Amino acid sequence: MLEHFDAWLHRPNFIVFVILFLWGLYIMVTHPNLVKKLIGMYLVQTSVIFFLVTLGVKSGATVPILLSTTEPIQVEAYANPLPQVVTLTAIVVGVATLGVSLALVTAMYRKYGTLDEDEILKRLE
Amino acid sequence: MSDHLPALIFLLPFLAAICMPMVGFKNREWCRPMAIVAVLAMSVASIVNFIVVMDSGEIRYAFSGWAPPIGIEWVDDGLASIIMVTLSLVALISLINAGPISPSNLGQRIVPYYTLILLLVSGVTGIIFAGDLFNIFVFLEVSALSGYALVGVAGGKALMSAFRYLILGTFGASLYLLGVGYFYAATGTLNIADLGQRIPELMTSKAVVGGLIFMFIGLGLKMAIMPLHGWLPDAYSDAPDAISPLLASLVTKVALIAWVRIMFWVVGAGTEVEHVPVLILLEEFGAGAAVVGAFLALTQHDLNRMFAYAGLSHIGIILIGVSLGYPTGFAGGVFYLINDVVMQAGLFFLAGAAMYQYGARTIEDLSCLRGQAPWITGALIIMAMSMIGFPPTGGFFGKWYIILGAIEAQNYLAVAAVIISTVLTLAYFIKIFECIFREPRPGSGVIPVEAPLSIKLSVGAVSAAIILLGLFSDPIVGILLDTALPPGL
Repeated sequence: MLEHFDAWLHRPNFIVFVILFLWGLYIMVTHPNLVKKLIGMYLVQTSVIFFLVTLGVKSGATVPILLSTTEPIQVEAYANPLPQVVTLTAIVVGVATLGVSLALVTAMYRKYGTLDEDEILKRLE
Repeated sequence: MSDHLPALIFLLPFLAAICMPMVGFKNREWCRPMAIVAVLAMSVASIVNFIVVMDSGEIRYAFSGWAPPIGIEWVDDGLASIIMVTLSLVALISLINAGPISPSNLGQRIVPYYTLILLLVSGVTGIIFAGDLFNIFVFLEVSALSGYALVGVAGGKALMSAFRYLILGTFGASLYLLGVGYFYAATGTLNIADLGQRIPELMTSKAVVGGLIFMFIGLGLKMAIMPLHGWLPDAYSDAPDAISPLLASLVTKVALIAWVRIMFWVVGAGTEVEHVPVLILLEEFGAGAAVVGAFLALTQHDLNRMFAYAGLSHIGIILIGVSLGYPTGFAGGVFYLINDVVMQAGLFFLAGAAMYQYGARTIEDLSCLRGQAPWITGALIIMAMSMIGFPPTGGFFGKWYIILGAIEAQNYLAVAAVIISTVLTLAYFIKIFECIFREPRPGSGVIPVEAPLSIKLSVGAVSAAIILLGLFSDPIVGILLDTALPPGL
């Protein structure tokens, strides 16, 4: 059991990911306020992006731009660029999602005058 | 030239979507013809692509010349080209149908409306061709974001359904991305062909199994497999009548195709985790969805909701077919998917036409169709025959091959699930026809609106397609067996 804890503590990024993910999920499921639901959704997205970006980190490594083309490439000297590229695209997707969702929430607020999900559902009955 | 066909098929609707605001700024009336021309050109390109792929084998398209696995690759094989032809033709018919029954309060918003439809179609194209797990995620989100906006476009009650669809869809996409991250951490690659060589021997790793589960739940939310279907009935019944055929026939099916790619091209058909074959679990998921979906459809009164649940049960049947692990079952499942794309589009066209002409929303309202709408009733009979599975419609042959595959796999649970779902399908169509053919209620004399040509054309095309799919089922399944089977099946 103890060695499990030890292994976990060597990967603090995974612990942070799990906390952020579950926190976002909890907010998304429990809050009746639509904007808070969106905040929870955004936390979930961000936690996944955080997980991806920490996969490419190496201690002591620098930005992935080759310093010299003549010497043999040392893989340990550069951070892994692929998770960063993937993350960038995922962030763009997340921003687009946030835009669409805020537009929907604004339209609902204009129509019903409230952001409370229960209230809106009651009005829909 | 023919090497660039996959990119061309994608770029036609995509570039039209980008040009749409400029054209719409000049004249709003040009939006619809432009969208139809773009999707028509795309359908022609898909058919040419299908012929080229059948003639000279699969096309692998490496973007900007970067060879995979470093670059992004699109795979245009037998499966992708056949599905592409089906989806582009159904999108074309849906777009023709969409004109007169589009929401009337759009005004200036007609420009973004058609832009979003074209973006949805191009996103779907991307998922079908993508040869890279992350690419699938991006295009899933492109099509899903357009889908959320299109569900909510008419405002009112649909806003809440669109919001729920958005929350669950985004959560599913996040889970899918997490699974992709697990796979990347375990193998260091995202290319499907490359992963297919590395993943099968890593199936003892908890990270890979966990990633696979996350991907399945993520895509399961997108394809609305049974316990994860919460968003679908509301979204499809509250969406504008012009939009639900597009969503019902394209979005969920494409998520299923993405899952088939991952399951068979990455993980491999015979994979076992702790001596449990993965496919057996999927097939049981499908069996549950097929039976419960049909049962829930039987309990509905709203026509759109009934058809939405019918779609859920058919997703289950397709999943049973592809998960049997035998070539017959796989080809039957894909053939049934093609049929289901057409049937779902047709059912929602009819629901939209009944609403447009007679204001009929629930199945009790359908009694006003009696003796007045021979072509709606006739088309509905053809759809029902195919949904239930009477020869000579496509639905019969799809179920036939799935059951043959299940017997070949000695999987009698799958046979039972397909048959029970068929009986329940028969039951809810009897419910509909009982309402149409019984004596009309007093005081329900609705004066119908004359159907525009576009609705007649689209309903006729779909009905003809269902019969043709049945008549030509043998060559189509033959092509699927020859060219579309995954490696190792």
